[in-house]
Amino acid sequence: MAVTAIQLCLAVLLPLRGKALFARNDTMPNILLTTLCNRSCPYCFAGNEMPGPANLISRENLIYIADFLLASGQRHISLLGGEPTLHPECLDFILYLLDRGFNVTVFTNGILGQCDLDEFKRHLAGVSVERLDFVCNLNNPIQTPASAQESEKVHTFLETMGPWTTPGFNIYRLDFSLDFLFDYIGRYGMKRRLRLGIAHPVPGSRTDFIQTGEIREVVSRLYSYRRFFDRFRVSPGLDCGFPICKFSDEELGWLHRFPGNPFFGCGPAIDISPDMSVYHCFPLSKYHRKSLFEFDSMARLREHFRTIRSAIQAEIAGIYDECDGCQRREDGVCSGGGLCRIVGRFVDEAPIRLAEIEDGISGYRISG
Amino acid sequence: MEFPVIVSPDNEDLLEKLTGRRVALRVGRWDRIAAGLEMVRKSGCSLFCIIVESDRPVADIDFGDCPAGVPLALMAPSTGRFRSLARHLDMLRTLNLRVYLPWDSAENLPGLRILSSVGINCCAYSETGLTDWEALADLATYALLERAPHAAIEPFAYIASNYNPSEYLHWGRVMFDDPTCFAHSDEAGRVALSRSELARGCFVARSPREISAWPELPEVRDRKLSWKRFFAENHPCASCPGWKICLGKFSAGLAQNGGCATFFEEMIDLVHRYRAMPAPRREVEIWRP
Ligand code: SF4
Ligand code: SF4
Repeated sequence: MAVTAIQLCLAVLLPLRGKALFARNDTMPNILLTTLCNRSCPYCFAGNEMPGPANLISRENLIYIADFLLASGQRHISLLGGEPTLHPECLDFILYLLDRGFNVTVFTNGILGQCDLDEFKRHLAGVSVERLDFVCNLNNPIQTPASAQESEKVHTFLETMGPWTTPGFNIYRLDFSLDFLFDYIGRYGMKRRLRLGIAHPVPGSRTDFIQTGEIREVVSRLYSYRRFFDRFRVSPGLDCGFPICKFSDEELGWLHRFPGNPFFGCGPAIDISPDMSVYHCFPLSKYHRKSLFEFDSMARLREHFRTIRSAIQAEIAGIYDECDGCQRREDGVCSGGGLCRIVGRFVDEAPIRLAEIEDGISGYRISG
Repeated sequence: MEFPVIVSPDNEDLLEKLTGRRVALRVGRWDRIAAGLEMVRKSGCSLFCIIVESDRPVADIDFGDCPAGVPLALMAPSTGRFRSLARHLDMLRTLNLRVYLPWDSAENLPGLRILSSVGINCCAYSETGLTDWEALADLATYALLERAPHAAIEPFAYIASNYNPSEYLHWGRVMFDDPTCFAHSDEAGRVALSRSELARGCFVARSPREISAWPELPEVRDRKLSWKRFFAENHPCASCPGWKICLGKFSAGLAQNGGCATFFEEMIDLVHRYRAMPAPRREVEIWRP
C-alpha cells in the first residue's frame, strides 16, 4: 500500500505526540515597539491595538523583555507594531538585541522615510542575513492598491534591504494573486521563502478575512502557484491557523519537500505591547490579557496560554464540527484551526459559556 | 591607605612634583591616554588609573587604540545613541574600563542599564544632587537581582559586596569620592578633598608637599568623623532606617526630597536578597578603586 503524504507527515510528527506541536514550544515572542502605523490594510489583525494614544515602548521595558527572554533561554525575538520602524529608536533596538545575542525578525510594511533607510543600511550592512530578517508585508499593487508615494517607499526599502528581507503576504480574498511576489524576490534579491498568512477574523473588529468555509479554496489556489514556487525555488511558509485537513495528500507531499515542517497550528504568537501587556496574538488581544510582570519565565507564560487554549477547546474543539474527536488534533498535528475563529463565535453568540470564557470575552462585548 | 592616590590633571610639571606617588590621571580626551601614560612613566609616579573626562556622549567618542589592561574610568555626560555605540562595543569589552554617568539625568538611568546589559562595567554618580530615588532604586534592583548576565553597576555592586552593618562603608570610593583614599589636585597643585570641592575651589592644601601629612590634616580627620555630627545635632539622618549605608551623604537634599531614606532602606534589603541568592551572578572582574 502506498504511503500517503498525511501518513508521512504523521510519521514525522507522532514521535512528538503530546507535546502540543500546534502550540510551539519555540514560540518566538513578538515585541510591539509602537502601536502607530502608517498604512491601513483591509485585513489588519492589529486593529484592536491601534486606536488610542500612540504608544512607544520604553528602553527600560525593552531591556526588561530582553533579560526576561534570555533568562528563559530564548534566543529569537520578533519586533512588530503598528509599524515598528516608526519607533524613533527602532534601529537602536535592533542593534541592541543583536548585541545581546538574539536573532531578530522585524515585521515591517517597508514604508520607511529615506533618512531612516540610509541609517538602516549604514548600520545593518555588516549583520548576517541569518541573524536579521525583515519580514516585509507586501500587498498586491493591483488588488490592494496603495498611493504612488507608499509604493515607491516599499520599492526603495526592498532595493536597499532585499537580501535581509523575507516577503510576507496575507490572504484576505479568494482571488488573491501571488505573481508579483516572485518578480520582487528575483528583482530585489530577497530571501527565497514566502511567508503566507491567512486573514483571520478579529473579534470585535470589521476587517476583511477568509471565512472558515473558504479555507479549502484558499489552499487549492495557493497550490495552483506550485510551479512558480518550484521554478523560482521559493519555499512556502504557512503562518498560523491553516487546518491540515484542508490540504490534499498531494499538497501536503509538496509542502514537505521544502525545508522545515509545515505548521498547522495556532500560536500562541505571544505579543508583548509597549505597556507590557501580554496576550496570545492580535485577534485575542482582549482575551485574558495579562501583564508580563505577572510571569517569571517563558515557561510560565506558555503554560498560561496552554490553559487558555484548553479552556476554549473544552467548549469547542476546533473550527469544524469534525475537530471534535479528530485524530490529528489529538495527535498534536493540527490545532483545529485558529482560536480567534472560535472566540469570534463566542463573542457573537448569547452568553452561554463557562464563566472563565465569558470573562475572557467581556472586553470584546464592552467595546462592541 | 597611608597616602592618598592623587587625582591629578595631565600636567607634566605637576607630575614631576608627585614623583613616587600613585596617581589617577585625568585627561580630557580619549586620544590623550597614550600621552598620559608616557607622562606618568617619565615622572616616576605609579599609575592607579586613567580618568577620561569626556564632554561627548560615550557613543560619539573617537576611540583610538588603548593598551590592554590599563585601568580606565570614562566619565561622560551620557551614553548617546545605541546605533553609534554598537560599533564600539566589541572593543570596549576588551578594556579594563568602567563608564561613569551622572545619575541626575533621567536618560542615564536606562543608559546605565543598557551598558551593563551589554557587558560594560559602569557606575552611577550624583553630579548635581538631583536624584530620582525611585528610578535609582529600580536601577539598583536591576544591578543586584537581575538573573540575565550583565556587567556590574557601581556603587551598588561595591555596596553589596562590602556592606557590614557594624562598619563605616566608604562606598564613595568607587567614584573617587573618599578623602581617606583620594586627594584631588588642580593644575596649580592645590588639593581638595573631593571632585566637587575641587570644582568649587575649596582646597585643603596649597601644594602636593603638604600631602605627606595627609592623614593628619585636620580636614581629613574631620571628614572621617563627620558622621558623628548627625548624632550630636540629633539630625533626622541619625534615625533614618537607611543610615547604615547612606551615613548622611544626602542630608543636604533631605528637606526637598525625602526619597533618600526609602532608597537606602531598600538598598539594605537588596543587599540581603543579593547575598541570599542561591548562586549570585558572576560578573567580569575589572579594576575597582
Ligand atoms: S483538528 Fe479540525 S481542522 Fe484540524 S485536521 Fe482535524 S478536523 Fe481538520
Ligand atoms: S488565534 Fe491562532 S490562528 Fe488566530 S491569529 Fe491567533 S495564533 Fe493565529
